[in-house]
Amino acid sequence: MKKNNGLLFCLPAIILLGMFFIYPLFNVIIMSFQNWVVLGNNTFIGFNNYINTFQDKEFWQVLGNTLIYCLIVTPMIFIPALFFAVLLKKTNKLNALLRTGIFIPYAISLVASSYIWTWILNDTYGILNFILNQFGLINEGINWLGTTWSARFMISLSVAWKTMGFSMIIILAGLSSISSSIYEATSIDGSSKIRTFFSITLPLVKPTLMLALVLSIAGSFKGYDQFVIMTGGGPMRTTEPIIMYISKVAFDYYEMGRSAAVSVVFLIILLSISYYQIKLGEYDA
Amino acid sequence: MHRKTNSFKNIPIAILIILVLLIFLFPIYWNIVTAFKYSDEILAYPPKLIPSNWTFFQFNKLLTVSNGVFIQFFINTVIITISTILLVLAVAIPSSFALAKLPFKGSRIVFILFLSIFMVPFQCLLVPLYSLLTKIRLYNTKFGLILIYSTFFMPFCIFMLKNAFAQLPNALFESAILDGASKRKIMISLFLPLSIPSIVSCIIYLFIETWNDFILAFMFTSSNEVRNIQVGIMNFGKQRFSSDWGIINSGTLIAIIPTIILFIILQKYYIQGMTSGAVKE
Repeated sequence: MKKNNGLLFCLPAIILLGMFFIYPLFNVIIMSFQNWVVLGNNTFIGFNNYINTFQDKEFWQVLGNTLIYCLIVTPMIFIPALFFAVLLKKTNKLNALLRTGIFIPYAISLVASSYIWTWILNDTYGILNFILNQFGLINEGINWLGTTWSARFMISLSVAWKTMGFSMIIILAGLSSISSSIYEATSIDGSSKIRTFFSITLPLVKPTLMLALVLSIAGSFKGYDQFVIMTGGGPMRTTEPIIMYISKVAFDYYEMGRSAAVSVVFLIILLSISYYQIKLGEYDA
Repeated sequence: MHRKTNSFKNIPIAILIILVLLIFLFPIYWNIVTAFKYSDEILAYPPKLIPSNWTFFQFNKLLTVSNGVFIQFFINTVIITISTILLVLAVAIPSSFALAKLPFKGSRIVFILFLSIFMVPFQCLLVPLYSLLTKIRLYNTKFGLILIYSTFFMPFCIFMLKNAFAQLPNALFESAILDGASKRKIMISLFLPLSIPSIVSCIIYLFIETWNDFILAFMFTSSNEVRNIQVGIMNFGKQRFSSDWGIINSGTLIAIIPTIILFIILQKYYIQGMTSGAVKE
């Protein structure tokens, strides 16, 4: 009667977890110290994979690319998300409709949103060049995805368009947890709306804001699909992110061990981001 | 009094916001109208905002090319998505139930292990997962993909369902035990029906994540019999029809319709689920 078979209920999930998460997690670390070949004997080669990676110019370039992308896309997601969250805070029919509208692109895949934008940005037939031309802003079609910085901005724009709604919803959830009596008090005080926003709203939603920020930073480090579709990493590898480098080293150069070493470095970067996420969570509680 | 003047002031703002929204959703509109144009009109200058002749020509081309390989991609995606949803529910429901109501020695550690998947994204494990799949002969199989999706999408569902089950009163569970019901029966016929909203949000989450996945399907498949719709579109757009914007736009439209429809119908549950972990009460 006292027998508790809780573990039995968890067993199928634990098996999946062990096989496809814990085992690969240990394996990626082991592989990173090996000269790993698909068939045959793997030999331990110490830190060689790491040393070779740190000596590879391309590694630092993709790290830089990813960092630059993160710095561009994060404010592009964040500022409009915060703006619309504050604007659409009150629950009424119009706001509900607008929230849905802004959130819809989040349901679209990155592959699809990237193609939708690649078509809009097309240098000869794209509608963006046509509109800019109509307003007399440009004389001839711009190859938006053909030059480094404009490609970086346009990829960021397409991702911001897709994911902004998600950040908005998270910030909205934070805003809705602020009690309305605080706002009533400030309106009696006669504070201006802008002052209320900066001195009351912003500090109170800070933990939620930080969470949305950390999620979008981590997300930008994991970016891959949008780069494959929109530029393929070009021009001159300037839009090649870490993940594309990991897959290239593994599946094009067949250096599985070194690819594992890059993965471990990447994992450490992501874990330090998550560490801040946990710390923020504790701060919140 | 104060409120009334405010709402009047808000009318121009409301119009402005709606205008912004229309611009915001223009890319989707542009995708739809391009997919319904004839090829010469797609490349027409100046571009036509509304097709002069609406046509299924592009879809017809898309669905008949290479003996309907695009239909194959679509069916693959449906099979993989539904199987992943069923498998995750089958393993996540009992574990969440046990973690919430049948605490055992080490159950806290098990829960923390599940949540640790949040910290380690699968993007870091592409190489060992590839080597594992080839070793167990599941590389380039639907089943291999389903197992990997299930592993990495399961923790979010366990987190959500555990919270849902934990909220149900212990007395409910205890009185059912006294009545002589088995734990399995309590879980299925008592707890499940009371947690439908959480289960629905799990299903939407799983559907969108699995349907929209590109990287795993791209890395771990090599033949058209297994490829999903995202890889299929990429394959068409990058290789076979690199500048055929009719085919690319119609394929993209078909890929986004299921998730958008599901999302619009069930968005309440989805938002509830997404934000459940974000804000502490």
